[in-house]
Amino acid sequence: MTPVLELRGIDKSFGPVQVLHDVALSVHAGEVTALVGDNGAGKSTLVKCVGGIHPIDSGEYLFEGKPVQVHSPREAAALGIEIVYQDLALCDNLDIVQNMFLGREHKRGIVLDEDTMEEMAAKTLEGLSVRTVKSIRQHVSSLSGGQRQTVAIAKAVLWNSKVVILDEPTAALGVAQTAQVLELVRRLADQGLAVVLISHNMNDVFAVSDRIAALYLGRMAAQVKTSDVTHAQVVELITSGRSGDLGLTNGVPA
Amino acid sequence: MRAGPSQEEIRRHNLGALLRHVHLGGPTSRAELTSRMGLNRSTIMALTADLTAAGLVREELPRETGRAGRPSLVVRPESARVYVFALDVGVDRLVAARVGLGGTVLDRRETVRRRGPFVMEEVVGPLAAFARQMHRKTRPDTVCVGAAAAFSGGVAREDGVVRFGPNMDSVDVPFGEEMARRLGLGLPVTVGNDANLGAMAEHTRGVGVGCRDLIYLHGDVGVGGGVIVNGALLGGHQGFGGEVGHMVVNPKGRSCGCGSLGCLEAEVGERALLEAAGRFENHGAQPYNGSNGSNGSGALIGRDAVRAVVDAADRGDIVAQAALGRVGDWLGLGVANLVNIFNPEMVVFGGTLREVYLGSAAQVRSRITTDALPPAREHLRLRTSALGDDATLIGAAELAFAQVLADPLEVLARAGS
Repeated sequence: MTPVLELRGIDKSFGPVQVLHDVALSVHAGEVTALVGDNGAGKSTLVKCVGGIHPIDSGEYLFEGKPVQVHSPREAAALGIEIVYQDLALCDNLDIVQNMFLGREHKRGIVLDEDTMEEMAAKTLEGLSVRTVKSIRQHVSSLSGGQRQTVAIAKAVLWNSKVVILDEPTAALGVAQTAQVLELVRRLADQGLAVVLISHNMNDVFAVSDRIAALYLGRMAAQVKTSDVTHAQVVELITSGRSGDLGLTNGVPA
Repeated sequence: MRAGPSQEEIRRHNLGALLRHVHLGGPTSRAELTSRMGLNRSTIMALTADLTAAGLVREELPRETGRAGRPSLVVRPESARVYVFALDVGVDRLVAARVGLGGTVLDRRETVRRRGPFVMEEVVGPLAAFARQMHRKTRPDTVCVGAAAAFSGGVAREDGVVRFGPNMDSVDVPFGEEMARRLGLGLPVTVGNDANLGAMAEHTRGVGVGCRDLIYLHGDVGVGGGVIVNGALLGGHQGFGGEVGHMVVNPKGRSCGCGSLGCLEAEVGERALLEAAGRFENHGAQPYNGSNGSNGSGALIGRDAVRAVVDAADRGDIVAQAALGRVGDWLGLGVANLVNIFNPEMVVFGGTLREVYLGSAAQVRSRITTDALPPAREHLRLRTSALGDDATLIGAAELAFAQVLADPLEVLARAGS
């Protein structure tokens, strides 16, 4: 099966500092791909390259098998790639519907089409089996951390997106909310989306992922199926870039 | 040689099948039923008319379809009118619910059960009282078509007697019979093993819809299991099948309530986790103080205690992390064995095992990677329960609906008389 999103030989430098070296990544529909790596391994930079925030220096960017050029977040969104950042970028003083359509409001003539937006928001939340939110006209300021995360994810899914990238969605959440968010992540993939999950928590990674991509000092150490590796192997890949037959040999992928 | 089924039998079967579609799938248009059931339109119309006349479904015009042509009528279950009583007897809680056709929980009561030996009156009394309260609140045109209970113990298929329940000291309890007598509805109370029913609930309404080979693991005080093979629950010769909690994983391990050593339940159950985390107190000896989730000394017990360990581990408590790691390792070994034997498409973690799995997934899956055969685990999906703590209760409701789905008109006639 063709991956929805495929990167080959991605290089990226900031001035004299080369952050990504020859990085390859493939993301498949219906699967959760966990992107792991130590601080500074290049996870965020890679995601920002995918999202069109940073231009790539060289390498191939394929979407649904076709080479594409992504120069801005808007172009990434047009392809169907949505990124949910750690800070969620929600507006506290707006309600859930307003947040989900922020900057992309539906209009009927010159006025906002509130009915359609409300219906679409409700349908999206229902489709994700989100039952924790009392009213979709609630202000985001009144929501818990887990509920905010849920709204941010629902916002990403609303636009018929094909790839959803989640940056540390369970950081700073309690156990009950972590469980809900993890189940939501899993449900997104089970509904056919390609999900990329960035996480430092190995239990979260193993709980929901189908594949694990481990970055080490700006290089893709290995991309493996979660059902083929153990916790110890993944930790080795993260900390030393190799584990047995897996990983980098003299800085080159095996 | 037996002649083919009579027209009457075919009609009864089709009525049941149509009702099941609407019961499980929710409001469905006639056109959709026609294509899903492979019957022609006039048959669907006649069947719907019969079920409507009996008051089991009603037909409505759909909301805008946005398509051209006359819209097909939508058939909806009469959830508010036709209901069952679902009961859940856990080691530390008793739940009674009134569940409408279509699976809607209409009313629900719950109380704490004091841990300790099974005393019939202490279980049957509160549940019967709950049922009476809920029954009193119903409108006169409603009709109860069945009752069933999920019981934390082994239930004989033949007579519905609870034959063993190591965590409740219940041996040879004719629970269903006594419960039916106390309910006084003139309906039998069918009894099933709680984890078996949880498996069926996840299979028909939960995370495992459309999945024909599934194993459900249910954690409360112990660990129960339900194995679904090719769409049917594996009951075994007498109905005691699927007791995966008593699969021995560590022959020199901890002693189990069943008298054996190193059962999966003994290694991953509530007590194993709490002891490993240094949070176990012998609350069996504590007098019941009526509050949920804590004993006299203020320490948490039951599912709250298990969740507290997972929470502590998440916040960096090393002892809690080690305890979860240890439990996750045994849980992974148990699942690896099940994967090798049954090659399931999905394993579902329910009850307290939902949190335990999410908190120790790295260990669980590492074990499966090393101990399960590669082809058997290749397409395995590990999921958490979609129905949560109510999986067993929803399973009981489905068991209670089984009769009416098998023969809708006959059961309704009997219930109405």
